[in-house]
Amino acid sequence: MKKEYRPMALGFWGVGLPLLLFGIFFCRTAAQRAAVILLAAVFFLVGTLIYRAKQ
Amino acid sequence: MKLAAVDWIFIVWYFILSIGIGLYYSKRAGKSISEYFLSGRSLPWWLLGTSMVATTFSSDTPLAVTGIVIKDGVSGNWFWWNFMLGGALTVLFFAHLWRRAEVVTEVEFIDIRYSGRPARFLRGFKALYLGIPVSCITFGWVTLAMVKIIRITFGTSGITALAVCLGLTVFYTTLSGLWGVVATDMLLFGVAMAGSIILSVVSVEKAGGIGALVEAVRAAGAGAGKDYLSVFPPLGQALPLAFFVALFVQWWAVYYPGAEPGGGGWIAQRMLAGKSSKHAVQGTLWFTIAHYVIRPWPWILTALAALVVLPGIAGGSAGEMEAAYPRMIAFLPKGVAGIVIASFFAAFMSTIESIVNLSGSFLLNDFYRPFIRKNASERHYVAASRVLVLVVSLLGAGFSYVLGSVKMGWQLVMELSAGIGLVLLLRWYWWRINAWSEIAALSASAATAVYLKIFPENALVRGLGSALERAGFRIDAWGVSILLIVAVTTAAWIAATFLTKPDDPQKLLAFYRKVRPGGFWGPVARMNGGAYRLQAAPFVGWGLAVLMILFLLLGLGKVIFMEWGAGAAYLAAGGLAALLLAKVIAKIDWEGRR
Repeated sequence: MKKEYRPMALGFWGVGLPLLLFGIFFCRTAAQRAAVILLAAVFFLVGTLIYRAKQ
Repeated sequence: MKLAAVDWIFIVWYFILSIGIGLYYSKRAGKSISEYFLSGRSLPWWLLGTSMVATTFSSDTPLAVTGIVIKDGVSGNWFWWNFMLGGALTVLFFAHLWRRAEVVTEVEFIDIRYSGRPARFLRGFKALYLGIPVSCITFGWVTLAMVKIIRITFGTSGITALAVCLGLTVFYTTLSGLWGVVATDMLLFGVAMAGSIILSVVSVEKAGGIGALVEAVRAAGAGAGKDYLSVFPPLGQALPLAFFVALFVQWWAVYYPGAEPGGGGWIAQRMLAGKSSKHAVQGTLWFTIAHYVIRPWPWILTALAALVVLPGIAGGSAGEMEAAYPRMIAFLPKGVAGIVIASFFAAFMSTIESIVNLSGSFLLNDFYRPFIRKNASERHYVAASRVLVLVVSLLGAGFSYVLGSVKMGWQLVMELSAGIGLVLLLRWYWWRINAWSEIAALSASAATAVYLKIFPENALVRGLGSALERAGFRIDAWGVSILLIVAVTTAAWIAATFLTKPDDPQKLLAFYRKVRPGGFWGPVARMNGGAYRLQAAPFVGWGLAVLMILFLLLGLGKVIFMEWGAGAAYLAAGGLAALLLAKVIAKIDWEGRR
């Protein structure tokens, strides 16, 4: 992983985790829960792609 | 509204993450001007493209789109969607040329392209013009929008919260330069989009779900004689002039931050910061897709839901219509509200940090270094850059108090620069354009705009309006003034071009060999011993890019409104255009060596 990209990857994972938790515990409806958890998944995915981005 | 503790936890956590990312790059940024303003020209396409779209996505943007949709329906967005034609043009014809130019800013382009005293004057003037008043206006309108959002959401002026947010943003931007800006932009764009998607989901739920929303909006439209959901404006018997001007004139003629003809401002800065010409092209293409296709739909949905959920909003003032967007925050559950509030800060910060870094680059690279203090060390210039970024931030914050409204801000910027677009495009492809061409264009554009402001009902306006009405247009003041400004400006710069001498041949030759553009370079190409060809592929690519963006935009809209058949067809067509475009892009020689 490129050193320059590390903070961005951490940032995306750092937002993805609370999104996942808030989606599970605070959303009132199925649609809200699905949207927030899906967004959390996107954040984890993007963070991982950045982490693995090559030179 | 009152936020729960869990909302505050997310907001504080978001600030810790974003500022932490920003500060990480402060050491690297201090090495040189190239690192501070261009990230050492090492940005990959996905980073530079996302940074472009993060900058154009500001706190006022969803509000502006909400106001447009509530007033004119989805089709009102052609006011800015028309710029996709210019965006696609930049991808295929200009992104790689910017990267080859290897300048630090769009203003430094003047130094490598033109010669003599007029060029020096133009460079200094544009550095100050773009670095101070234009950046202050943009800074001001973005900040005003954030003040409005905080006031509507919390019922307070929010000056303290805003000052803290601004202060932190300026702090890390001053230290970490463009690396800090683009790295935080990645996260800020993600958070901003997440917030707008969540708000749209909750808003649509509040309106009874997508089916009920569509029915209710159609009923509201029928009552008001409007089709809110149509992507294209009703043509009827008279063609709306505003739509015609948007589609055929505005995108190439008007210099607007984030949509400059041929690229400029922060768009040019990111292209210049790319790893290579191909990365500059791919990044700008990604920006164009994210900007026109992905960004707007959550805002449009929220606006349509507001039409249904907020009684009387359609009869309100422009400001009240725009305010409908943050008003929808009231329907968010705790824990989720904090994410959406953070997303507003994200949108705000991503624009502010870019504006101040960009303005600093103009003032340092194109005014301080060439005119005030030449041949100083890189360390000196980096320190001076940080001071200038801070100064611009303070000026911008101060200007926020003076600016009357958000709309006034961007209208002012657009009108002063309407008409200069064509010369900015042609200066890459026609040797005969010189510094006087740009000076004449800038002067004529600004002078005509000011004249029309002072004398809005003058004979020229009345005459042109009548002629257009007879030709079958449904006229409006905006469309008429844009056409007038463009006509006067074009006549002025063409006259100036041919009434003044061409640039120094050696300067032109050096530019031609460095940038390797095709086009109309007759005598210069002969001096070079041969011409660089303007390939046919970019023209094909341009058409495909526009079709791709249009079909994907339409397709996404159809899917959202559950018109599955039409949605699938448009998305398939957009996908096909994308595949063909990828093939075209792969075939083009972006370095121009062949």
